[in-house]
Amino acid sequence: MTRRAALIALFSAILAIAAGYASAFSKGGAPTWGAWLLALGIPIALGAIMILGAVRGKQGIGSLKFPFAFVILVLMIGFGAALALPGTEGPLSRLWLGLPLRAAIVIYGVGLLPIIVLPVAYAMTFETLTLSSEDVDRVRAVGRDRKSGVPATPEASAE
Amino acid sequence: MIGALHAMAMLQVALPSATRPAVITVGLLYFAVIIAISIWAARRTRTASDFFVAGKGIGLIALTVASVSVSVSGFAFIGGPGLIYAVGLGAMYIVLPAAVTNVMGAWVLAKRMRLLAEARGLITIPDAIGARYRSRAAQGLSAIAILFGIVGYMATNALAMGVVINSIFGVGLGWGIWIGMGITLAYSASGGILAGIYNDVFQGTLMGVASVLVFLFVLQFGGGLGEISRTILAHDAAILSPWGKLTPLAALSFYFVFSMGSLGQPQAVHKYYMLRDPLQLKWYPLLKTLGLILVLLLYFGVGVGVKSFVLGGRLAPLTSPDQATPTLLLDVTPIVLAALVFSGVAAATMSAANSFINIGAAIVTHDLPIAFGRRVTNELRWGRIVTIVIAVAAAVTAQRSGTMVAFLGIFGWGLFASTLVPALAVGLNWQGATRAGALASIATGLIVTLALETTAYLKVFRFPAGVTASAVAMVSSFLVFFVVSWLTRDNAAAEIDPDIRLVMDI
Repeated sequence: MTRRAALIALFSAILAIAAGYASAFSKGGAPTWGAWLLALGIPIALGAIMILGAVRGKQGIGSLKFPFAFVILVLMIGFGAALALPGTEGPLSRLWLGLPLRAAIVIYGVGLLPIIVLPVAYAMTFETLTLSSEDVDRVRAVGRDRKSGVPATPEASAE
Repeated sequence: MIGALHAMAMLQVALPSATRPAVITVGLLYFAVIIAISIWAARRTRTASDFFVAGKGIGLIALTVASVSVSVSGFAFIGGPGLIYAVGLGAMYIVLPAAVTNVMGAWVLAKRMRLLAEARGLITIPDAIGARYRSRAAQGLSAIAILFGIVGYMATNALAMGVVINSIFGVGLGWGIWIGMGITLAYSASGGILAGIYNDVFQGTLMGVASVLVFLFVLQFGGGLGEISRTILAHDAAILSPWGKLTPLAALSFYFVFSMGSLGQPQAVHKYYMLRDPLQLKWYPLLKTLGLILVLLLYFGVGVGVKSFVLGGRLAPLTSPDQATPTLLLDVTPIVLAALVFSGVAAATMSAANSFINIGAAIVTHDLPIAFGRRVTNELRWGRIVTIVIAVAAAVTAQRSGTMVAFLGIFGWGLFASTLVPALAVGLNWQGATRAGALASIATGLIVTLALETTAYLKVFRFPAGVTASAVAMVSSFLVFFVVSWLTRDNAAAEIDPDIRLVMDI
């Protein structure tokens, strides 16, 4: 179910991105909604392909749904804020960690916040949701069996 | 990660002469360390597995630093800061994906590819595609696509090496190319990927140290990021708008191509095979992301720093944006720091070249013969011979006109992304993907990229702002992959071997 949802989301996001690019060919240049399609489609596409990679067999993604949701939202809000907030940067602008607001949202939000969450979530759930020593042993056993009887390259007969 | 743009940037920049005693001394020390590591590695390379995947025996820290090193290239040091100088924060969308790409690669590819190496002893990316779809045609077609990309990357890296070495030693561009490729070839042919990995570790460390030191120097020289921003906002506020001087579509397009496209970059993906213990993958994305951020500090720091210094009158206006880093280094920073960065740029080009030479040699001696139903009897010996041929061909091509070589290099990233991401990254995680879908997707990526890049190069047409051939090819390849797999879905389950299914289920 999770895998199917991720595939549908990935396909839909790629379609949205394609539509965003197509909009750039319209007379007068890309309309605003073209950029919005990318701003929404990119986070969904990246989130969907990560979920697709994180799903094990018929299981879901367990507690990983929280970091994935967080990062998809951070990217959507970051891109969305950059598109929606008025461009008022000037010499008297208030600075946030040395940058004007919209730039700070992009650099610190889109560029740094995911680092705090995603790799840590990957490490914290690695043995339970990604790869355990039992998993490696199973694959090695299958590899040994195959090595003893079946060639290790793609079979010509299958073509 | 950003090698595609590296081509244009490094070729268009005429680096100023840095021929000073300190720069030459650090440069010579750099090459001495490279040679010492190569001799050590050559003594430990005895089999084709040693040569192409370091016998699956690389530790976590070494692999992480090496992977950072090959992911960056000289663009992060020269072209990237120049792009920020020219268009502002819009250029950051090339490197912002680093926050997600490494962990995305870990979830989507790392585990499954490393387990495929355990189950099948696979050593190349086309190997994985061939095994996944039980198809020699898919293996062969993906190998051809990678080879196309490598031709371009190698020529541009050879030329970039020549530019940097000429700048350090003043030997002339032609000799710079031959010296750079000669040294890279020596360690690639003798020690294979083992020499490459440990040289990458040294080179990545050098790049990280140089980047952090330059970043800190810029902050100190500029009075902090706040002061740097205030100066820019007073003179050219658009530089610090969220898209810089790009359109939102163009900036977001950078983000899409350099995030999703990272899953198809062979120089990074190939590294997953090499980790000694698959369980060490646990810390790989975190360490690599942190390493990458350190190396990319220079990209941001020099870009906004030099813009501020020029706008504030502390530096003379640049003759071209790509002079941002060389001008800062040679006119402002201590000369030893300049020497470190110049060696770091040489390191970046050499590590990328070595990685591509190795992957290209594996394709010619391993994947293409398998695609035609043959096996090379001595892959190690032929690997070394093909390594020499690729390096010499790249050096000869690099002597041609810069425009031609830039064209060759420009489509590398997009070609890898459009031909490999759907078939490999989605295919290894979706049992409904079919052989026909993979073949159609790889062919679509190859044809669309080559056709659009060639016609754009010949000025037959121009893309509207924000649209690139890489993006169009990747989107087309994805859609074709899904549609053809869906149309041929009846055969999907029967096309997967039990051991591959196990790897995909875990």
